[in-house]
Amino acid sequence: MSLKGWKEKLFQRYMIWSCRPSRVTKHLRSVLPRSRQPEPADRRQIKVAALQIELKLFKNPLQYADEMHRLVREAADQGAQLIVFPEYNNLALFGMLPGIEKMEKEDLREKEAKAGKEGKGGASVQGKGDDLSLADLFRYISPAVKPLVHTIFSQFASAYGLHIMAGSYALEEKGEIVNRALLYGPSGDLIGSQDKVHLLPMEAEWNLKKAASFNVYETPLGCLAMPVCMDATYYETFRILEKSGAEIVLLPIANLEEYNYWLALRGIWPRVQESQVYGIKSALVGSVAGFTFTGRAGIFAPLEITPGQNGVLAEVEPFDREAIALAILNLEALDQLRSNHPWRDSNQQLYKRYFPEIYEGKDH
Amino acid sequence: MRVAALTLAGIKLKSIDQYQSGLDYLLKGSGIDLVVLPAYSALLLGLETGAITHYNDFDSVMRGYLVQNEDWHNLFLNLHSSLAAEFGIYLVCGTTVEKPIGKNDGSPADCFYQTAYCFNPDGKICGRQRQTHLTHDERELGFSRGEELNTFTAGDLQVGLVVGNDARHPEVGRIFSLCGADLLLHSGALKSGLNCWPQAAGMWAQVQQNQCWAVEAQLSAIIAGKILGASPAVIGPCEITPGQSGYIARGYPESSIVTAELDEPARQSLKKNYPLLRMLSPHAYSALQGSRNR
Repeated sequence: MSLKGWKEKLFQRYMIWSCRPSRVTKHLRSVLPRSRQPEPADRRQIKVAALQIELKLFKNPLQYADEMHRLVREAADQGAQLIVFPEYNNLALFGMLPGIEKMEKEDLREKEAKAGKEGKGGASVQGKGDDLSLADLFRYISPAVKPLVHTIFSQFASAYGLHIMAGSYALEEKGEIVNRALLYGPSGDLIGSQDKVHLLPMEAEWNLKKAASFNVYETPLGCLAMPVCMDATYYETFRILEKSGAEIVLLPIANLEEYNYWLALRGIWPRVQESQVYGIKSALVGSVAGFTFTGRAGIFAPLEITPGQNGVLAEVEPFDREAIALAILNLEALDQLRSNHPWRDSNQQLYKRYFPEIYEGKDH
Repeated sequence: MRVAALTLAGIKLKSIDQYQSGLDYLLKGSGIDLVVLPAYSALLLGLETGAITHYNDFDSVMRGYLVQNEDWHNLFLNLHSSLAAEFGIYLVCGTTVEKPIGKNDGSPADCFYQTAYCFNPDGKICGRQRQTHLTHDERELGFSRGEELNTFTAGDLQVGLVVGNDARHPEVGRIFSLCGADLLLHSGALKSGLNCWPQAAGMWAQVQQNQCWAVEAQLSAIIAGKILGASPAVIGPCEITPGQSGYIARGYPESSIVTAELDEPARQSLKKNYPLLRMLSPHAYSALQGSRNR
């Protein structure tokens, strides 16, 4: 099957039309509050929210907007100044594709495994003889998703006077697919983005494009960065962000594995301890088309500045249902810890001896 | 390979004979191939046997130790060379203070290092590692940082020694692993009363992001009023450990020893199926060198 036939092109135009900013804006105008001024930021008390979203498919982009709005409102009502959405927050928009229910029954995951055994990369979505990958679907919906996401999260941020990290989205950029996290400020502007640097093997098979750098954005809430999911498997990500001034690292995840406490511990928690930053993990959970996502959204800090000395400020209980974690961050306490740290050290001579040569041949 | 981590808890240290008997009881005939002792082992044994002068506070003890160290350092190394040969094992003797005066190895004349040594079953030194990252207190005492991380062979495995505070610096495990280390041997000494999380943030985290093994020895002792005690452990990648916890064996601060068998084929299979280190993205790491902004 191809997505380049006239029917598919026509349907893509329909999706773009149904996601057009003017339509979405008109809808949101009826439900959003009038623009609020952001609360003045106090570095000692920044309230943040990590969302755990249960994956549901939406046929209608306005329903998706309503659902995202419900989540923003819930966090805003509890005083959050910064809200963090999960990775692959556009999977829900696969619901716009006709026949998605049939694809769900066919269980893409099984096809993925089968394709892997047969030496084919990626998940086939239409059955025998077809070679569409999920990346093809992301590419197909991208022209509709981009303006939709920008419109809704820009308007949420300005309506509530908040910083919102809208999650990450598989988007087409100059002919290639990237997994991109988006950060909106209280004026409604897109103030930053970060493409995923470390890809899952599955994403590499889809030919997703890896980013070549990490970004940090200075905001009234502190210096923010937003690497994506797998990026937190590697200490290098957080070390570079810390060196670039990051104070709060936002990490959207969509973990395709059965939940296990220790497996889930391996990402952001140790990275926060190594690099002495605050960490906010948002998680996509639930099942669609045979893919099951698990995780526990949470807010993390260096051991020395968490009440239980366990590195956790807040963590949701369920690993498979919607939930929200809220906590207050104190950037002054973080500054104080960093400036008089009991065990941290830096050995420039050692690093000069080994970096970057030691990584040679490791870039795949 | 069967490995063990010791805390020195329960071993009498009033004389070298007592110490040897204690190790003999734990190790002889145990089938263990490789043993790791904790940090400050030379200091503790020196104090308990009277080879090093005792003071009332830890800082004074350390300062006195640094002055008196030389003879004791050599005696301590000779003792562990004999023990390794007697037991026929690889033995990491924990840490001692190394002063490279007159050794002509390129180190500045007035510096000293917290250094771990590994002896092979013939009693020869097969690995030496200076601590590369210092705590605030160690910097105050005037310790210098090692500037190299060298692996060596123990049995069929490549090994790196992780000394004290290096456990909390992920650069160490990464450099060792990219140099081919299969197994990290850690001599540590953490203050008593901490929960398990500082250890998880150390060797456990280094193992998980490098898919290697680690043997973590932690000192259980009181030195000049400073109470030290944390859990010894043998650690592996989550996927090949019971309950996916990352721990193959884990004791309490009062446990004398923990032992475990390393299933190297299982680790190799995991690395083949999920090659984390081959998925690094060095094209994005140019900022790794250089100082922190803050």
